[in-house]
Amino acid sequence: MADAAVHAHDHEHKRDFFTRWFCSTNHKDIGVLYIFTAGLVGLISVAFTWYMRLELMEPGVQYMTMEDGSPNGHLWNVLITGHGLTMMFFVVIPALFGGFGNYFMPLHIGAPDMAFPRLNNLSFWLYFAGCVMLIISLFVPGGNSQLGSGVGWVLYAPLSTREAGMSTDFAIFAVHLSGASSILGAVNMITTFLNMRAPGMSLMKVPLFAWSIFVTAFLILLALPVLAGAITMLLTDRNFGTTFFDPAGGGDPVLYQHILWFFGHPEVYILIVPAFGIVSHVISTFSKKPVFGYAGMVFAMVAIGALGFVVWAHHMYTVGMSHNAQAYFMLATMVIAVPTGIKIFSWIATMWGGSIEFKTPMLWALGFLFLFTVGGVTGIVLSQAGIDRAYHDTYYVVAHFHYVMSLGAVFGIFAGIYYWIGKMSGRQYPEKWGKWHFWSMFIGANITFFPQHFLGRQGMPRRYIDYPEAFEYWNVISTYGALISGLSFIFFLYIIYYTLTKGEKVTEKNYWDDQYATLEWTLPNPPPEHTFETLPTREEWDKQPAH
Amino acid sequence: MGNPIHGTDSTAGATAPAVPVSADWIAWTERDDPPLYRVALWPYRSLGRQGQRCVLWIAAAGVAVPLAASIGTMAFWGLLPFCLGAVSVLHLALRHNTRDGRLTEIFTLWPDEVRVERREPRGRIRRWRATPQFLRLTLHPRARIQNYLTLGGGGREIELGAFLSPDERLALKHEIEIALARAR
Repeated sequence: MADAAVHAHDHEHKRDFFTRWFCSTNHKDIGVLYIFTAGLVGLISVAFTWYMRLELMEPGVQYMTMEDGSPNGHLWNVLITGHGLTMMFFVVIPALFGGFGNYFMPLHIGAPDMAFPRLNNLSFWLYFAGCVMLIISLFVPGGNSQLGSGVGWVLYAPLSTREAGMSTDFAIFAVHLSGASSILGAVNMITTFLNMRAPGMSLMKVPLFAWSIFVTAFLILLALPVLAGAITMLLTDRNFGTTFFDPAGGGDPVLYQHILWFFGHPEVYILIVPAFGIVSHVISTFSKKPVFGYAGMVFAMVAIGALGFVVWAHHMYTVGMSHNAQAYFMLATMVIAVPTGIKIFSWIATMWGGSIEFKTPMLWALGFLFLFTVGGVTGIVLSQAGIDRAYHDTYYVVAHFHYVMSLGAVFGIFAGIYYWIGKMSGRQYPEKWGKWHFWSMFIGANITFFPQHFLGRQGMPRRYIDYPEAFEYWNVISTYGALISGLSFIFFLYIIYYTLTKGEKVTEKNYWDDQYATLEWTLPNPPPEHTFETLPTREEWDKQPAH
Repeated sequence: MGNPIHGTDSTAGATAPAVPVSADWIAWTERDDPPLYRVALWPYRSLGRQGQRCVLWIAAAGVAVPLAASIGTMAFWGLLPFCLGAVSVLHLALRHNTRDGRLTEIFTLWPDEVRVERREPRGRIRRWRATPQFLRLTLHPRARIQNYLTLGGGGREIELGAFLSPDERLALKHEIEIALARAR
């Protein structure tokens, strides 16, 4: 029989540093670990881009040269590959899905922890091992008798199957580890979301952030195994003489592209959907209104996720598809604009007539709204197979996907950090600094990426270390933008350091005074190690009158 | 005779979860006389069996898309184990989590004896018995678990329905008190 623990539970169990941060099975601690690790990898990834933008500031190769002064194209390719792989697999997903998802999804649904806490721990350490392996891949022998793999984050065959050295193998294993981590994390999230909601919290009463994590988890569950299969076949092609993607042995390199993009397009939504959830909460809180069209928002997320699986070939119009296939993928792609539009207009309608307060998280959410819309609109442009002929592999595409991800998902991360840092740490950031950070990043990122639309329209191809003088004007401006963004990011790191060490303590549980607050706002700052040992009551969480 | 099953509303599953009955259990319940009061408690789970099946079908349909598209190519065989693996892991996870919720506590009261039997998810059965006349039923409103309910007697103090909501524990306490009054 379970002996009574009424006295034993009255005090918090103290854990030493090692036990807490290395062996933790607590969803909040693991969430924090994800966010910090993603931040560190993000810093490395951003450093790569500064170096690349510096190189692209002027025509000719100034910095990335061999000892004899000739251009070192391999180094360029390694940095491109490293930036893509880190951002796609080791920064944005871990921060949004692993970090905020772990920390807040169980709190939002009133669950005491994740369904499988030890599996959660394993997921994090698999991710960490993947990070380490990816960094190692930069320093082991690769192609062109140099260090590192320069095959691009998409790992297209036959380039990836013929790149010399073991660096590409390390990179593939890193992606494997990250994929395994994400799949296990996704299974954990799905089980938690479906089976551990508070009594009475039906699916259509779950907060939108928890919904966004659930949709993302399902996308991961369906998309990541396909990537795992594809890169496993790459590995066997590289090392065991199979010919899955080698025409000489009956394989097909275009098939690799199909498989890769079957994963790759949902990946975009895996990155952005959790940001949808965060932005919904932030806009509602600072507009002092419940989210407009809750059901529409939920179904739009589900629809975006589902449609994301049937549009993959718009990334590869130029590989030689039939006209009918191209027509289908065009139409299917454009249909995604409908649920996306529902979300955008619902956010606007949430603000409409609200008493809007322009605090830092709200600025990031509004930045997200505006810039994600720009990225979405250029996505509609690129969905046209005819127009894509001209824009394919140009800087227009680079501008488009950075507007969606660099200015979309990353703005969502910043919105989440400023919104919840007081809750997570018990200390609040300086409001004025948060606003400076927002404006410097907003201006810097736009100066970086908006001119890239012009470069793409001029015909500047992506993935090159050098370019003709005709493209210099906008490249100079873009590089200045990158420097502003970079300085802004360093300032952000200082804000975080300051907040965590000297920030003003916040004792009020619902410090944004959100009358439609979700369950995390009923907890102290930071929440105790164990939460919701007592099932939350309906009065605590059912505050959205609209649903 | 009290309500045979506690919490058929939002606080517990509609039917008691199936737990394998051991020989030990049969021996324990071998009392011919009907109890004055009996209540079975189990934790809440938000996903039913039908919901689980639905989720698994959706996942299977999802992974079927890339598999169907690659039928006839060598790549099909490269994708198959990973896709099947993902759905299998989800199936195992949902099943495992449902099993973890198969915790039942059965409180039974006779005029001369009160028994509590707790069946844990992995099959362990823990038992406690006391005399109704000396039973101490205590609600701890300000404990870490709000309205924590404990039973004292037989030299031990045990918890009852720690997985229920505070209001349910309060209601349970009242039910047991009424039954105890009749027993005494």
